[in-house]
Amino acid sequence: MNSPLLHRSILLLLLFSLLALATACNGKKSQAAKDFAPPSATAAANTGQTTDPALADDEALGEDAAAQPVVNDPLMGWNRFWFTFNDYFYTGIKPLALGYKYAVPEFARTGFKNIYDNFTFPIRFLNALLQLDLTKAAREFGRFMLNSSFGLCGFFDLAKSDPNLQPGDEDFGQTLGYYGMGEGFYIVWPFLGPSSARDTVGLVGDVAANPLTWMFGLWNYEGQDQLWYLSYVVSAGNRFNRLPDQIDNYEAMKKSAIEPYVSMRDFYIQYRRGRIAE
Amino acid sequence: MIRDFTYAFVVFAALALFPSLALAGEPQQTLQGSVDKAITLLRDPSYKDAAAKPAMREKLIATIQTIFDAKELSRRALATNWDKFSADQQERFSKAFLTLLQNTYLDRIEAYTDEKVNYLSEKLLAADKAEVATTVSSKGKDIPITYRMLKADGWKVYDVIIEGVSLVQNYRNQFTQILMKETPDALIDKLTKKS
Repeated sequence: MNSPLLHRSILLLLLFSLLALATACNGKKSQAAKDFAPPSATAAANTGQTTDPALADDEALGEDAAAQPVVNDPLMGWNRFWFTFNDYFYTGIKPLALGYKYAVPEFARTGFKNIYDNFTFPIRFLNALLQLDLTKAAREFGRFMLNSSFGLCGFFDLAKSDPNLQPGDEDFGQTLGYYGMGEGFYIVWPFLGPSSARDTVGLVGDVAANPLTWMFGLWNYEGQDQLWYLSYVVSAGNRFNRLPDQIDNYEAMKKSAIEPYVSMRDFYIQYRRGRIAE
Repeated sequence: MIRDFTYAFVVFAALALFPSLALAGEPQQTLQGSVDKAITLLRDPSYKDAAAKPAMREKLIATIQTIFDAKELSRRALATNWDKFSADQQERFSKAFLTLLQNTYLDRIEAYTDEKVNYLSEKLLAADKAEVATTVSSKGKDIPITYRMLKADGWKVYDVIIEGVSLVQNYRNQFTQILMKETPDALIDKLTKKS
């Protein structure tokens, strides 16, 4: 596409300002002790979890157990509203998702998912590098090369048969967590679902690092004739393609919970903390 | 000298007779026994029929019941609130909570019937506590499931961690939220209705 140089430099600027923000946040939080701690330890300290989860669990039985784990949720009113909204929305489009599941065979849905994941390889690669994890970066690179060359643009995930080339999921939210940024607070977005202040900032980074953004842009630049809306169409398509599985998971959660809002919030926070600690 | 030799022989014979002893400790063996039993049941073709489903579920629950430590699970999920419950409430709560947990857990593993459970490692956290890490491969994805176990009369599970999310902690947050406004009896009612 004919994306101008200006367009690209804006995105680069955005990326760098994100990194600067991450560093700034880290700096604000760090005390003398944390400054000299290795990044992983800082991350663990900030999430309020010790490196041994079993011990954390035992501590949770102590006096302040009622408050464990601390999830900051100052926007509970907003969050509960959008939680209910999303619940109605996803329940409403469930028949559509089920129809899609019925019409499109599983191998094709997996294939579409693989193509999208292969296409967005730069996000994970960049974040593995930013987290100074060369093993993960090499793994992502290997997967991308192999699946792009022999897997029909990634339709077939050939790399997965190699135990050393398993798919990863690094994103900017995890990178910010790696550099010691806490979640901030829990937030539920319309359509997108649960997130946190940190992961929302991370999401902006993910969008900036997404090749879709480089190719098509996010809006129309000075009357240029460009297909900016394709960015949205393709990512919405990707989300829809994954919907059948996600609705299954969501309903399992709802079925097992007696307080679905709290359960969902805890699932999200625990899952993200686990991903960052890894 | 001869005694040493005899001792070595006994150890050797024990290892030869029970090779799994050398590979996996007691917690993992106990867990594996129950999980394998459950999976065998899930795969049993004689239960494929919808009419036979309730019978299978009953057997499954009987299997799972022997491996889950209802009281410990409840105590941990209620945390400090546990002491605010009367003995009778504790009893009723444990029963209702275990039923809900079993259903949740069974729904999860029922979806994985064709898949293999891999036992990755066993770690002793204390003399009476262990952590058994497993993965279940489903739809080409490896889902990590870790079991935390406590030794009382035999090893029993007191927490299940699926993809880094502890079930007990998840319920603890929900219970805390509910008990801020409601009575223990109201919570037990809600649990009973759900399960």
